[in-house]
Amino acid sequence: MSENMRTWRVIDTGLRRAAENMAINHAILEAHQEGTTPHTLRFLQFLPSALLGYHQSAEQELDLDYCRQHGIEIQRRITGGGAIYFDQAQIGWELYVDKQTLGTADMGQIARRICEAAAAGIRQLGVDAQFRPRNDIEVQGRKISGTGGASDGDSILYQGTLLVEFDVERMLRVLRVAAEKLTGKAIASARERVVNLKDLLGVAPDFLSVKSALTRAFASAFNVSFDEAVDLNDIEVAKFHHALQTMDTPQWVHRVQRPRSEAPILTSLYKCQGGLMRVAVAVDILRNHIKQVWIIGDFFVNPRRMVVDLEAALKDTPAAQLYANVQRFFDAYPAEMLMLTRHDFITAIETALATAEFSVPVISA
Amino acid sequence: MGCVNGCEFPDDLYFSVENNVWARREDDGSITVGMTSYACSLSGQLVAYTPKKAGKDVAKNKSCATVESGKWVGPAKSPVAGLVVAINDVLASTPGLINDDPYGAGWLVKIRPFDWAADARDLVTGAAASVAFKAKMDAEGFGGC
Repeated sequence: MSENMRTWRVIDTGLRRAAENMAINHAILEAHQEGTTPHTLRFLQFLPSALLGYHQSAEQELDLDYCRQHGIEIQRRITGGGAIYFDQAQIGWELYVDKQTLGTADMGQIARRICEAAAAGIRQLGVDAQFRPRNDIEVQGRKISGTGGASDGDSILYQGTLLVEFDVERMLRVLRVAAEKLTGKAIASARERVVNLKDLLGVAPDFLSVKSALTRAFASAFNVSFDEAVDLNDIEVAKFHHALQTMDTPQWVHRVQRPRSEAPILTSLYKCQGGLMRVAVAVDILRNHIKQVWIIGDFFVNPRRMVVDLEAALKDTPAAQLYANVQRFFDAYPAEMLMLTRHDFITAIETALATAEFSVPVISA
Repeated sequence: MGCVNGCEFPDDLYFSVENNVWARREDDGSITVGMTSYACSLSGQLVAYTPKKAGKDVAKNKSCATVESGKWVGPAKSPVAGLVVAINDVLASTPGLINDDPYGAGWLVKIRPFDWAADARDLVTGAAASVAFKAKMDAEGFGGC
């Protein structure tokens, strides 16, 4: 590999509307796949936006009236995963590289490698950030960066958020979050699962420090140096304008339209020897799919964060694989539980699932 | 049946090694397209499937379906140019079938090819497919299915 190939580009595309940021995603990834764009680290910021995952529908994921009333732009990402709220108080980071450079084509390994590098960068800011399978970066069990990716041939785009400051209440209003169904204390429940740099450090670090820390960490992890670019290149700009014509339209944003009835949030109250468990499960009935699980209640586990780590491990689980995924999690996770077994968690979640009709059986017993 | 690092590559299929997809010529002349077991292993559990619409043309090496796994979204690229004549409706509710049965019930689309003879020249089959996928796996540092 030549010295030249070891230099990647870093670019900050500034504060933009979501449609522009998504169109830039498309433009750089396509240009990278065609070989006209170097490996790139991009930083970005958003005006208030609700960002859907590629396969999601706005009706199912968002409070559309609230978004409209508060000028929150709705957009569709080209990457996977769930809907997020993004505004000026967070920073986005993205890597555009190829599988060959990363030395693997295994998408799980690629995500891990990039997330571990990003976590190292966040640690330089003074918080104990760690990668948490499958796609989160967390601090003591609380998520500080969510990530997702898109691929095109040998090229990949992998992107993450970093919560510098974060308005949890607004997130809850924008997204359909099940925490409220569990306790009526939605904000407290969300705060146990999400954290931001300002809350951890007492003061929000300036964006320059954040970018610098992440850039150094990626440089170290991938053994590269970065050249700063001020603007996108001409090919990318042309592709950006072309993509914007498609993506800055209701047709793109609402390309997937599905009724809320296909994405209910199911709940259960489960009593066992070890205590009382309240579970909420966001499901996709059509795809027989668990989107997200929330578990709270009065029971003893050590470490306490085991519950949120289990929640993270169960994101996007086919319902039929719930049993196997819970088993896999506990096989690898050392935890103490008082009068409680892994089967109690399975039963509590299955009890919630049993309240809806899936097209294939989901109960393990 | 070819088997490389635990991944199967059936002898009766044509493979695009670059796109990691297979093609099978049916009796009616249509081409069934799907992901290889190797591609499924690299992706992990698939959770969503959006095919190109039936009645649309697809170019060779362009996306005929988009799939999602573990927050990754990516195209399955067609090994042939043609007209999409069928999509796999079952995958809308059970995209995991692509992982469970990549060469059977997990097929992605059926295409009426514009020029099968020309496109097939770029595809490999039988022992040649095993050799080509072995080289690809070695280059990509793959541990096995």
